[in-house]
Amino acid sequence: MAGHLFLDAEPWVDWAWVSTHVPTVLGYLGQHVELTAISLAGGIVISLPLGVAAYRWTGLRLPALGLFGTFYTIPSLAFFALMVPYTGISELTALIPLTGYNVLILLRNVIVGLDEVPRDVLDAADGMGYRPFARLLRIELPLALPAMLAGLRVATVSTIGIITIASVIALGGLGELIYQGFIESFRTPLVVGMVLCVAFALVADVLLAGVRRLAMPWARSG
Amino acid sequence: MIRKLGSRWLLAGLVVFAIAAAACGSTPSPSGNKGNITVAGFNFPESSILAELYAQALEHDGYTVTRKLRLGTREVVGPAIKSGQIDLYPGYAATDLEFYNGGAGEATGDVTATVQKLNARLQPLGMQALTPSSAVDQNAFAVTKATAQQYNLTKLSDLAPIGDKLVLGAGPECPTRPFCLPGLEKTYGIHFKSFKALDTDGPATRAAFANGTIQVGLVFSSDSDLNKLGLVVLQDDKHLENADNVVPIIRQKVATDEVKNVLNKVSAGLDTKTLVTLNGQVELNHQDADAVARAFLQQHNYFS
Repeated sequence: MAGHLFLDAEPWVDWAWVSTHVPTVLGYLGQHVELTAISLAGGIVISLPLGVAAYRWTGLRLPALGLFGTFYTIPSLAFFALMVPYTGISELTALIPLTGYNVLILLRNVIVGLDEVPRDVLDAADGMGYRPFARLLRIELPLALPAMLAGLRVATVSTIGIITIASVIALGGLGELIYQGFIESFRTPLVVGMVLCVAFALVADVLLAGVRRLAMPWARSG
Repeated sequence: MIRKLGSRWLLAGLVVFAIAAAACGSTPSPSGNKGNITVAGFNFPESSILAELYAQALEHDGYTVTRKLRLGTREVVGPAIKSGQIDLYPGYAATDLEFYNGGAGEATGDVTATVQKLNARLQPLGMQALTPSSAVDQNAFAVTKATAQQYNLTKLSDLAPIGDKLVLGAGPECPTRPFCLPGLEKTYGIHFKSFKALDTDGPATRAAFANGTIQVGLVFSSDSDLNKLGLVVLQDDKHLENADNVVPIIRQKVATDEVKNVLNKVSAGLDTKTLVTLNGQVELNHQDADAVARAFLQQHNYFS
């Protein structure tokens, strides 16, 4: 079985297995997409207001970035295991650490994006009579969008990779296939899980790049 | 202005989409007539097969079963059943006794006595062990044929004089388990050159045998691939290893007479030879644990 993974003549992909396991594989892919989407949504919901607040009140930056920076250094496997007594063997156990990791990446990009809005643009907006909240919504956030979307792309790709570890405590996703392949010394599920994981990350990244083009037509070249 | 408004709405839309996509993913599970039972298994194929055997028998009887297969080691599964996150898992009498008694050394080679003591430990936790099966999956120590010939090894006591030349490989929990490293030292007087933390009888152990990192490794008596790999199990001549018969461990809350009958009937139909065959179907032929379990239950008329 296993050492055999790399010793015997077993093919990398057993297509007969793949053809009979399409629903199973799609189920794990669905879970993977679901976990990614929820943890990114959670990350955005937390980091957007927090980032705006940290942009306005600079005293908040160090504690906020420090807190989530510390969060980020906790290895995901340890984190999942530590969560089990409190949140059970449920999706919540995977979602809390994943959301926390996303917040750090997104928060940093929200702050950087807002910081980089040119001073003279803000002066012009003030001169046109924008009130602070309207200026934030109509001038600052749109101009910070490139940096924020760049952060979202990084967060998306890193989340899709980290989720595979959730399978070690049976939380689902494509990692289940990778883990099954590992413990049963069976290449096919391992390869299928890995390839789909990479494909999903690529598709998500291309989609977000497309969103960036749609959201910022002024940034289009040519 | 319109463009800028558009980008704001797009951002909001993205958030809403992500939340909506997330919400669509989860579907409620249908409720069964007789209640819901969550069945877990350890992170090795035999446990998945056993968990499937018990799960499918319960489903056939009308229960709704939630599966948590490959959940992890006993260090994960134990706390999960204690806290009620799972209801049932296929245990092993001696290993589970020594887990719940904190390694007090109560387990013996006598399965009846071992299960009795296990139940004394489980009762205050709101759990119980049912009737043990005759199928045994015991810890065993193996060496390669080359090592066996070089040192003329057939039984564990042969290792005592030459242990300091050999490296032992096993799961990271081995140095704290009485039937692993401490037992080998106490019962057999074997002192290894070093201990290498790998997995418990998994791919890492096999790879370490293959590349010579270890000379002695922990395997299980029901492994289907020992011959194929050229590994020789050393006889446990001083009876270090205890009665690790397969036994369902269940929360008393779900252990009605009907559930117990269903599970005991499955256990009664199992023996070590069956286990080796079923393990081979999953590990060597790459069949799915659920399909292997279903075929076995059908063949032995559990579904009729």
